[in-house]
Amino acid sequence: MAALGAAARALALQGRSGGLRACLPRPCWPHAPGRESHLWATALLSLRAALPVRGEPLRKKKKVDPRKEQAAKDRLKKKIKKLEKVSQELIPIEDFITPVKYLQEERQRPEPEVPFEVSERRTLLMKKWTLYKQQEAEAEQKKIRSMLEAQQEALRELRQESELLYQAAIRRDDSLFPFEKEGPTYTPATPGYQAPEGKYNDVTKVYVQVVHKR
Amino acid sequence: MAAPMRKMLHGTARSLECPWRLRTLCAAATAAPAAAATPGKSAASPNGGSPWRLLGALCLQRPPVISQPLSPLQVEMAELLEQIEVEKSRYSDHEIRALEEAQRLERKKADIYDSDDDDEKDILLVQDLEDTWEQKFLQFKPEPRVTEADKKNDQTSLHRKLDQNLVLLVKEKLGDQETWMLPYAEWQVGETLRGTAERALATLSQNSVEAKFLGNAPCGYYKFKFPQAFRTENSIGAKVFFFKALLQSGNLSQARKKNDHAWVSKEELGDYLKPKYLAQQAFI
Repeated sequence: MAALGAAARALALQGRSGGLRACLPRPCWPHAPGRESHLWATALLSLRAALPVRGEPLRKKKKVDPRKEQAAKDRLKKKIKKLEKVSQELIPIEDFITPVKYLQEERQRPEPEVPFEVSERRTLLMKKWTLYKQQEAEAEQKKIRSMLEAQQEALRELRQESELLYQAAIRRDDSLFPFEKEGPTYTPATPGYQAPEGKYNDVTKVYVQVVHKR
Repeated sequence: MAAPMRKMLHGTARSLECPWRLRTLCAAATAAPAAAATPGKSAASPNGGSPWRLLGALCLQRPPVISQPLSPLQVEMAELLEQIEVEKSRYSDHEIRALEEAQRLERKKADIYDSDDDDEKDILLVQDLEDTWEQKFLQFKPEPRVTEADKKNDQTSLHRKLDQNLVLLVKEKLGDQETWMLPYAEWQVGETLRGTAERALATLSQNSVEAKFLGNAPCGYYKFKFPQAFRTENSIGAKVFFFKALLQSGNLSQARKKNDHAWVSKEELGDYLKPKYLAQQAFI
């Protein structure tokens, strides 16, 4: 901004000096013929208008000014940096922000009265569930361990057989990842199924993280 | 000998990545049933002097297509969680509309208000909307989870038991008996064991099957000795190394005869494989 201002000022200076230089040779014909006399008068007038007539002699740009300009620029830059530090906006996660309309009073459900038996049944069921999940997790761990053990054994045997093959076997397979596969669905896919056509307007808000340069 | 040495050095440099390799769990275990010895395979395979023949076997699996049914406890828990979720939630727009309409109907019945504010949204009641949605849903007919192949118990079809892993087994003639086992091929000089397994797949399916091999390392092995008749100086027995692969597309049925191959699930493996072979299939 400051640079632009300086450039503008320089241009203005140039323009003014150009204008000055252009105007000066004009009144060289004091004995202009009558036909052009009005022109000469207007030229003088324009000359006066061109010069900034303030009653002060023109001041030259001193050396202090560039330093002042630099100081002004630095101050501006510091202000910008302070603003940037404050406003590092993070992209909001829309799932975590409850829309205001759902916090209103009339939206609340009446408190459910849970009878004692139902709540007892619920707690017992949850306890059974935790036990079930623990068993499931343990079984999974066990299976994983047994599969790894089988693989290690196989590699040990292979090593006994041939070192070369062993080295080939433990090499990393680069073509394996990235590995994409669609998971199981509830019902199998219907062969030759055509989904119903329709238009839709995508109204998802796309946020762009603004990275401020330092 | 210089070339193999260089290769080994290169290999050891990479073996630092080996812990990562071994810890990655690839797909389900491939049961490699390696039952009897392989008679008639007297191709000389120098294993650096060891008396064991090397075979590479393939555990080809078809991953499940549909999800498994929920157990009763899981069903109960799912219902309970849904109930709790509904109790703790707020009213949605649809529900508020339903409530307002119910109130308006009551007021109409009570004859307090005339049809002054009936112009607003009387065209479509919530009930009508829900009925139309129900109708639309009933019009859609999903595929059944229990397929025809299940009912016929066709072992060679891939559409059986869509919610489980199916492993490919082939019937091979070993010695004088026919046994079911995982497809294998003998190792040849100059190829890795994974290459052997891939070759087994190619010869078995005549290149009509696409499979994704899960890594270079074998997932299991089976060691057996040949019966006395077949033992030679070079080979006392054979070691079979199993490699796991996931089936992506294609089927065997065009390539092989009807009764030679089968896609079996884990529970049915016991019907087909010999006990000793089956015991090694911890990785299936």
